[in-house]
Amino acid sequence: MIDLLWNNLDYAASMILFCIGLYAVITRNNLIKKFMGLNIMETAIFAFIVALGVVDGGNAPIMGEGAAEPFINPLPQALILTGIVVAVSTTALALSLVIRIWRQCGTIEADELREAE
Amino acid sequence: MISWPPLLVLFVLTPLVGAVLTPAVSDATGRRSWEWAIGTMLLTSAMAGALIMRVLDEGPFSYVVGGWVAPYGIELHFDEFSASVAVVCLLGLLAVVFSRHYAPAALAPERIPYYYTLLLLNITGMIGFIVTGDLFNLYVFMEILSLSAYALVAISGEKTAEMAAFKYLVMGAVSSLSILFGVGLLYALTGSLNMADVTMRLAGSAKAPLVVAFAALTLGLMVKSALFPLHIWLPDAHAIAPSPVSAILSGLVVKVGILGMLRMYQIAYGSGAIDLSGLNLMLTWLGAISIVMGAFFAVFQDDIKMMLAYSTISNIGYIVMGLGLASSYSLIGATVHVFNHALIKATLFLGAGALIHQTGQRTLSGLAGVGRSMPFTTAAISIGAISIVGIPPTAGFLCKWYIALGALQAGQPLFAVALVFGALLIFVYYIRMVNAFYFRKPQDAGASAVHEAPATMLVPVLVLATLCLVMGVLGSLPLSFIEPAVARLLAPLGGG
Repeated sequence: MIDLLWNNLDYAASMILFCIGLYAVITRNNLIKKFMGLNIMETAIFAFIVALGVVDGGNAPIMGEGAAEPFINPLPQALILTGIVVAVSTTALALSLVIRIWRQCGTIEADELREAE
Repeated sequence: MISWPPLLVLFVLTPLVGAVLTPAVSDATGRRSWEWAIGTMLLTSAMAGALIMRVLDEGPFSYVVGGWVAPYGIELHFDEFSASVAVVCLLGLLAVVFSRHYAPAALAPERIPYYYTLLLLNITGMIGFIVTGDLFNLYVFMEILSLSAYALVAISGEKTAEMAAFKYLVMGAVSSLSILFGVGLLYALTGSLNMADVTMRLAGSAKAPLVVAFAALTLGLMVKSALFPLHIWLPDAHAIAPSPVSAILSGLVVKVGILGMLRMYQIAYGSGAIDLSGLNLMLTWLGAISIVMGAFFAVFQDDIKMMLAYSTISNIGYIVMGLGLASSYSLIGATVHVFNHALIKATLFLGAGALIHQTGQRTLSGLAGVGRSMPFTTAAISIGAISIVGIPPTAGFLCKWYIALGALQAGQPLFAVALVFGALLIFVYYIRMVNAFYFRKPQDAGASAVHEAPATMLVPVLVLATLCLVMGVLGSLPLSFIEPAVARLLAPLGGG
C-alpha cells in the first residue's frame, strides 16, 4: 500500500490537494475564500493531468539537434494551457461578482448575506 | 451546398463570430445589436437546417478540423442526437426576438450589446457541445456555455441576481472540474481524446480507474442537469434571470448534462468495458425522487417563475429516469422529451416574461384575473401547462407515455407509478396557475387596464405554443427519427 502510494506520489498529492480545495469550498464562509478553495481544486486537477504526460528520464519533445527518445507527452500540457485560460476567466467573473455583491450588500460573508436576503 | 464539408465547422463559428462582433456593430445604447443578433441567429438556423437534411440523406457524418485526421485532430461529428441543434437554434432565435422589447425594460442600456453577446456565446457553446467528437473540446464548449450562463443570470444587476449567479458559478465550476477529471482519466487509460477512438480502445483497460472516471463524469453532469439532490443552484438562478434567459437556461442549458450523459452512454455501451447497471439503478431512483420533490416544492410557490424553475427539476427527473431505465422505449421517450421539454418550458417562461413585462407582477395573487386583459398570452401558457402535465394530444404526452412503457418493458412498474404520481402533482400546481389567470378577480382596478404584449413578445410565445400542439399531433415524427440512433446505442447490449 505504502509502495503503491510512493510510486504514484504525484497522483496522491493532487488528490489530497483536491480534497483540501473541496473542503474550503464547502466550509468557508467568506466568498473569496470559497473561491480560493475552488482555485486549489483547479490546480489539483491541472497538476494531475500534466503529471499524466510525464515519462521517467524523458526529454522535451522538440525536434532537431540532440532530440532523443523517450519523449514527454506534450498533449496534456497543451490541454492544461486551455484549462488555465478557462480557470482565469472563471476567476475573473467570480471576483467581479464578489465586488458587486460587496458594493450592494456591504458584506461578503455567506451567512450575513443569507440574513440580508 | 448541403454536403459541403466545411459547413459543419462554419456552423459552430458563425454564432461565435457574431457574438464577439455584437458590441462593435452596436452603439453605446444598444441600437443595431438586436438586428445583428437576429441576423446571426437566422444564418445559424439556416445552416442547422442544411445539416439536418444531410443527416437525413446520408446518416451520421464528421468533419476533421484543420486537416489533422482523427484521432490526432479535433473531429466534429453530426448524428441523429445532434439534430437537437434544431431546437437550440429555434429557441435561440425566438429568445432574441422576444428580447427586442424585453431587454430595454429589464436591463441598463449600456448592457444590451453585451447581453446579446452572452446570449450568442451561450448558443455557440451549446452547438459546439452537441457536435464535437473530442472529449477535451467538449469540456471547452461546456465552459463557454457555463460561463456565459453565469454572467447572463447576473446581468440584470440586482442584488439577488448576483448572489444567485455566484451560487450557480461555484457549483458549476466544481462540477466542471469533476468532468475534467473524468476526461483526464479516460485520456490516461486510452491515450486518446477522440470519442470514437476512446470507445474502441477502452475494451481491455483496468476496471477501477474506469469506474472512478465514469463516477466523476456522472457527478459533474448531475450537477449540470440539476438532478436532486444537486439541484439547489437551479431555482434561484432560473427564476431571477431575465425571462428569455430563463427560457434558454431551463430549456437548453440544463439539457447539456443530459446530452453529456448520452455521450457517456455511447462510450460505455459501445466499448462494453464497464457495466453501468449500478449507475443506471441510481439514476433511475434519483430521477424518480427528482420528479416528486420538484413537483412537491413547486406546489408551494407563489412566484410564477420560481414555480416553473422547480417544474424543470421534475422534468429533468423524467428524462434521467428514462435514461436510467435503459430500455429502448424509455430511451426514446427520454431523448424526445429533451426536445419537447425545451419547447414547452420556453413557451411557459417566455409567456411568464410577457405577463411580468406587461403587469409588473410576478406572483400568482398579483396576476389574478390577467386572462381577461391578456387572452393570447394566457392561452399560450395554458397550452404549455397542459403539455407539461402530459395530457394528450400535446407534446408532453408521448414522451411520458414512452417512458412509462419503458418502465414496464424494463420490468420496473414501480417507476411508472412514480411517473403518474409526479404528473398528478404537476397537474395540481398548473391548475392553480390557470385558475388564478381565469377564475380569480383582479386585485385592484389597475390590473384590468393591462394590455396584451407587443408583437415581438406575443409571436414567439404563440409560435412555441403552436409547436407544443403540433409536436403532440405529429409526435411519431421525432420518435421515428431518433429510433435508429437509440437502436445503435443499445445494439452492443443485445437489443436492450
